[in-house]
Amino acid sequence: MSASLIIFVVIALILVLMYNSLVSKKNQVENIFAGVDAVLKKRYDLIPNLVASVSKYMEHEKGILEEVTKLRADANKPNISDAQKMALDAKVTSALGSIMVAVENYPELKANENVMHLQHSLNEIEEQISAARRSYNQAVTDYNNAIEMIPTNFMAQAMKYQRKAVFEIDELQRQNINVKELFN
Amino acid sequence: MKSVSELTDFYYKVLYPTLGKLEKERKHLRYRIFLVGFAYTFVFFLGALALQNAFLFGLDFFAFLFVLYLGIGAFLYKLLIKDYTHAFKDAIIHPLITELDSRLSYVHLFHVAQHLFERSQLFQGRIDRMSGNDFVQGEIDGVKIEFSDLHAERRHKDSKGRESWSTVFRGLFIVADFNKTFHGKTIVLPDTAQKTFGNIIGGWLQSNNIGRDMLVKLDDIEFEKKFVVYGSDQIEARYILTHSLMQRILAFEKKTKHPVYISFVGHAIHIAIEYNKDLFEPTVFSSLLDYKTAMEYVQTLHLAIGIIEELKLNQKLWSKR
Repeated sequence: MSASLIIFVVIALILVLMYNSLVSKKNQVENIFAGVDAVLKKRYDLIPNLVASVSKYMEHEKGILEEVTKLRADANKPNISDAQKMALDAKVTSALGSIMVAVENYPELKANENVMHLQHSLNEIEEQISAARRSYNQAVTDYNNAIEMIPTNFMAQAMKYQRKAVFEIDELQRQNINVKELFN
Repeated sequence: MKSVSELTDFYYKVLYPTLGKLEKERKHLRYRIFLVGFAYTFVFFLGALALQNAFLFGLDFFAFLFVLYLGIGAFLYKLLIKDYTHAFKDAIIHPLITELDSRLSYVHLFHVAQHLFERSQLFQGRIDRMSGNDFVQGEIDGVKIEFSDLHAERRHKDSKGRESWSTVFRGLFIVADFNKTFHGKTIVLPDTAQKTFGNIIGGWLQSNNIGRDMLVKLDDIEFEKKFVVYGSDQIEARYILTHSLMQRILAFEKKTKHPVYISFVGHAIHIAIEYNKDLFEPTVFSSLLDYKTAMEYVQTLHLAIGIIEELKLNQKLWSKR
């Protein structure tokens, strides 16, 4: 009698521990995503200022400026999912990157103090975003591991926990530079 | 900043006349130490014999006498080499530091303040005795830096009330401004648990370390193998420890060849390098002109001041300008 009771208590304890560790991993992911969201927001707040400062000079890049403004509006919409936020972030990163490359073609802009300040702020925020993305990816990896590994995977199935996606590195950044294409 | 080879040149060329003089003094001193040592041992032995004949003490008494002998001997030795040490620091170490960078100042009998050591939180528990010397301070490219030899100890008392001291840390302690703004703390320690117990058990032990903050798992495999990181904020820890800084820390660790502890607390980076000996001390029983001895002085100094360039602490981000 007492032996079966002990076994029951031990099993219950293990189940509770597994449950709690899964919940804490899930919360850690959400918690860090909030941090990612905060720095992304900081970057979105810079966009109107940036667009206003460069649009006077950048006649040829009007399209990309409009796109960035539109992306910012999309990001500020309420009730967008985490996956959408991540997709928007990737698009904004590449759009801002091309604006910054374009700035190099305008000597007046490069010398403009306001633009310089914006450029530095953007660089700093990019560093923060990169740190936040890395934290998020680590938290998601821990969570995904727990979901798929024995023994927590049975518990996760019962709790209907799904795998979460990590931030992907931009395809453009990952590709090796093709030197031949540069000269064509 | 001067390179190691430039400094070695300086050591052998400019300091050579002084070195020669000191070397003569050293040989003299060595002779004196032997002489005093013999005389002291002889007198002590005679005294002990006389006492033994008069009172017929037991074995306990001899153990006590032996400890006394060593204690007085160490005291005498320190007294004998005091002037020589002083002359060495003034004539060799001080010029070396000024040659390395003229913006640095040097104080022989001073060390990094205890509150900075405690602020770093690299070594937990109380510190009861702090000693050190060879304090260097200065500002290079807008980065304030200070470092010194440090010896932190803790007092223990056993049930009989006998006192003993254990070393918490002994080596080089460096404090410098960090080039990013942060609010929490991030602590980088040598990874002993994972090395001794393997990845799974070691990792579990690390994530359940009660005395420390959250475990921060980093995405650099080599860095993860060498170090374990604890931090109060996961995102901030990664904001500080970028991929490039992790690589630079790894390179720095390889160069030191000694355990390295690093913490980021209160706008500063604290680096403790565990040498387990007093650094920048003159040799008594081997030549000062010896290449190995010279390289040790030069390399250690170069390493300490080099962290500004090595870890790129002078490249400030916008918010810190």
